[in-house]
Amino acid sequence: MSRLYARLRASVIALLAFGAGLSMVLLFAIVLVNALMRYFLGSSLAWGGQLPIFLGIYGVMFGIALAYLQDRHIRLGLVVDALPRALRERLFLLVDVSVIVLGGTLAVAGLRFVESRGSMRVSGMTGIADSLSTSTGLSLFKALGTLAPYQFAMVIGGVLLLLAGILRLIDRLTMDHTATTTPSEGGI
Amino acid sequence: MVYAILLVSLLIGVPVAFAILAALFYFMGTGDFPYSIQGVATQLFAGMNSFSLLAIPLFILAGELMNESGITTRIIAFSKVMIGRVSGGLAHVNIWASVMFAGLSGSAVADTSALGRVFIPEMEKEGYPRDFAAALTAASSVIGPIIPPSIPVIIYALIVSGVSVPALFIAGIVPGLLLAVFLSLYVVFFASHYQKKPTQMPREQKVTILIDGIVPLLMPVFVIGSILLGVVTPTEAAAFAVAYALIVGVFIFRKIRLRDLPGIFSRTMVDSAVIMIVIGAVAAANWLLTFNRIPNLLTDWTLSLISTPWTFLIAVIALLLVVGLFLEGIAAMLVLVPILHPIAVQLGIDPVHFAIVVIFNLMIGLITPPMGLCLFVVDSIANVGMARLTRRILPLFAVQVGVLLLVAFVPAIVTTLPHLLGF
Amino acid sequence: QTIRFAHVDPDSWQNSKKGAAAAMFKAAVESRSDDLKVELYPAGALGGEDETVQQAMDGMTQVVMISGAMSKVCPAAGVLDIPFMFNTASQAWQVLDGDFGNALAQHCLDQTGLRTLGYGETGFRNFTNNDHPIHSPADMEGLKFRVQDIPLYVELVKSLGGEPAPIPWSETPTALSTGVVDGQENPVSTIYNNNLHELQKYMTLDRHVYATDFLLINEQFFQSLSPEDQAIVEEAGKLAGNMGRSIQEFTAANGLLAVQKAGMEVYTPTPEELEQFRDKAQPPVVKLLRNDLGDEGNWIDKLQQAVDSTTQKDAS
Ligand code: NA
Ligand code: NA
Repeated sequence: MSRLYARLRASVIALLAFGAGLSMVLLFAIVLVNALMRYFLGSSLAWGGQLPIFLGIYGVMFGIALAYLQDRHIRLGLVVDALPRALRERLFLLVDVSVIVLGGTLAVAGLRFVESRGSMRVSGMTGIADSLSTSTGLSLFKALGTLAPYQFAMVIGGVLLLLAGILRLIDRLTMDHTATTTPSEGGI
Repeated sequence: MVYAILLVSLLIGVPVAFAILAALFYFMGTGDFPYSIQGVATQLFAGMNSFSLLAIPLFILAGELMNESGITTRIIAFSKVMIGRVSGGLAHVNIWASVMFAGLSGSAVADTSALGRVFIPEMEKEGYPRDFAAALTAASSVIGPIIPPSIPVIIYALIVSGVSVPALFIAGIVPGLLLAVFLSLYVVFFASHYQKKPTQMPREQKVTILIDGIVPLLMPVFVIGSILLGVVTPTEAAAFAVAYALIVGVFIFRKIRLRDLPGIFSRTMVDSAVIMIVIGAVAAANWLLTFNRIPNLLTDWTLSLISTPWTFLIAVIALLLVVGLFLEGIAAMLVLVPILHPIAVQLGIDPVHFAIVVIFNLMIGLITPPMGLCLFVVDSIANVGMARLTRRILPLFAVQVGVLLLVAFVPAIVTTLPHLLGF
Repeated sequence: QTIRFAHVDPDSWQNSKKGAAAAMFKAAVESRSDDLKVELYPAGALGGEDETVQQAMDGMTQVVMISGAMSKVCPAAGVLDIPFMFNTASQAWQVLDGDFGNALAQHCLDQTGLRTLGYGETGFRNFTNNDHPIHSPADMEGLKFRVQDIPLYVELVKSLGGEPAPIPWSETPTALSTGVVDGQENPVSTIYNNNLHELQKYMTLDRHVYATDFLLINEQFFQSLSPEDQAIVEEAGKLAGNMGRSIQEFTAANGLLAVQKAGMEVYTPTPEELEQFRDKAQPPVVKLLRNDLGDEGNWIDKLQQAVDSTTQKDAS
């Protein structure tokens, strides 16, 4: 059980890190290439303005879940950190539960957001969406020209946060302190 | 109930962004139509849907790559040779390395973590108290976002249309240098006695270090130059900074191995996500306030009380110092600048001057507890505890407020350079 | 009942077209109805055009005035952006206030749940640049122009021989001042109100696109009103649209004088030169639109017919 759990936990972290890193490298590459193309070739990518923004939003959604697992979020530590350790651990259980609830709510809210507003067209993306769907014959790609696939980041973010909250809760309940009390390493 | 949710979540240690979102979900979910939980997702998405915000991950990535590539260590070595021999040497080196770093990096937090890892242990070795070294590192990294390039400046120009980023970039140079001078003066008068043994170095080694510094120091020329020459927009310049650090690290200094890169990319995105989710949550809260016309009320109320630019500036400085205690700087800008900027314009304050005062002011918040990002970062490196750190930060905080007042009440410090350069 | 009215332009009726329309709408509704109040959210307070139009669709706000975002929720409205379709503003008004405008309004109502109360205008868009005067498309060769992130505008500049660069509006002044782009295209009133003439030396009054403002109300809310209030709101919408048009023309005319006074060099192309612009730009853009609109491509022909009939009327 615990080995299975450890493997599950590791693969969730790997997935989150992969998602965050991939959006980072893609958004960097697109912004750079787009600027270079505009300067040297005089023609830039039609989707060079919008796609990096959406990649950034996806990156944030993967990032916040991973940051929660690694305790790297910005929080007011003043009060909690002064409490005795046992009490603090119990409060943190409460924090995990609220994050689970929040993640679930965000996923539901995101889903409704996609349903009601997903059909709006993203003008910068319609060109590539059309050409992808004609060249592949898959009308599915048409959707890339609408907001829905990008708004869906909110749903993914909610689900990932929910998952991160559950993992942390399990960590704490099984008293695996090595995983839960690692201080944040000065990343930010 | 909304405030109770917000306050309790914050106190029990729920991340700030999540506490705000939870309160919003409650308000929007339990209120009458037109409120709905969907609105929170909508505004969170809208709050992050902006090209200028991409400056955050890109500049943080540039900072990370500068550390990994050896650019940072060479800049530190360079500043050591240049100013290491004055009394209180290493403390001055810390400050002026921050200045050089400021020219490359757009984010104070990235500066802190890079410089802190080097300076805190090294200053301790030479006799400085560990908590002082940490406090000074945090304090001097405030210079970073004042001297260009700068994430807060890019975001400010996004909020206030008609203020150009290059003008603000140029305008920040003198105030940033002034801050460094005053921090150095503080060291001269109150902290030189800490240092036991000044750094000694053979002449040939110095020459090598100075030569080694050339490639890193060309970076600001490249980044700022690419903006001023019209090759890129300020946000895209962040991508140029990344490319520069990447090429130098992988091909010239050969310090970065390709297999390190995935880790660097994901770490950067996580660090950025932590800041951007606060910005998104605050933007959502801000939307709700606007929907209920709170900013209009605040503006009218302020204008009914304040009628001269000077009293307004004093009020703004006091307000932002308090806000800076609790709120992350960019998030605070998103809430307050749309209210404050129109009033400033109405009172005849130069928009560029006002922008620099606001940015300077909020960046001081980076080193004030309970919510000071740079303080968190140095503490995670120095492990001396917030209480000791706070005691050490206080006099440095006083110095910064002094410089801020100078910058606020002598507008020429800000406006002369942009005017000379035709902005 | 409160009508929340959002738009992205400044809150001034003297020099802001949507500000003027909003002020007119508020005054007309509040003076005639006992139970309706209008609250204005100007200057993008509730978000950009994309967000505000969606808020109106969701019923969070009731009225919204937008321009470019309309074709994102009702693609057929994009045909109004076909370059060199209209010769004069009054010709555009004739088309929009006639059968074509009514049919388009009905079509967009079905598609979005937003009723068009009136058509304002953003105005004819013109090219400016900082390099040299543009008399004909040949002069656009090698110049970079900032355009909106809309394929039609990218195609328009490309077909005229320029280099289109989609850059967000918020970054445009900076991009013009540092020279990331050489030029941009906007209505005169927008150029003047945003001080773009201080960053640009030359303007060509090629009037390539007549940009429309759409004054929209949430249909569900509209249907919830009493017949009397519905009539008041509909009339107010028409008045507001006309107010927006008038103030737009007024600020454009004043702006044109002011930018010249400030040293901008303004060139009015000859009919022959305009013919060159039209011949180069219109066919590729129409092709792009037809491809993009698919089944709704017939709106292009409907518009062309409506415009032709006004020209004939003018000629006779
Ligand atoms: Na900087
Ligand atoms: Na603070």
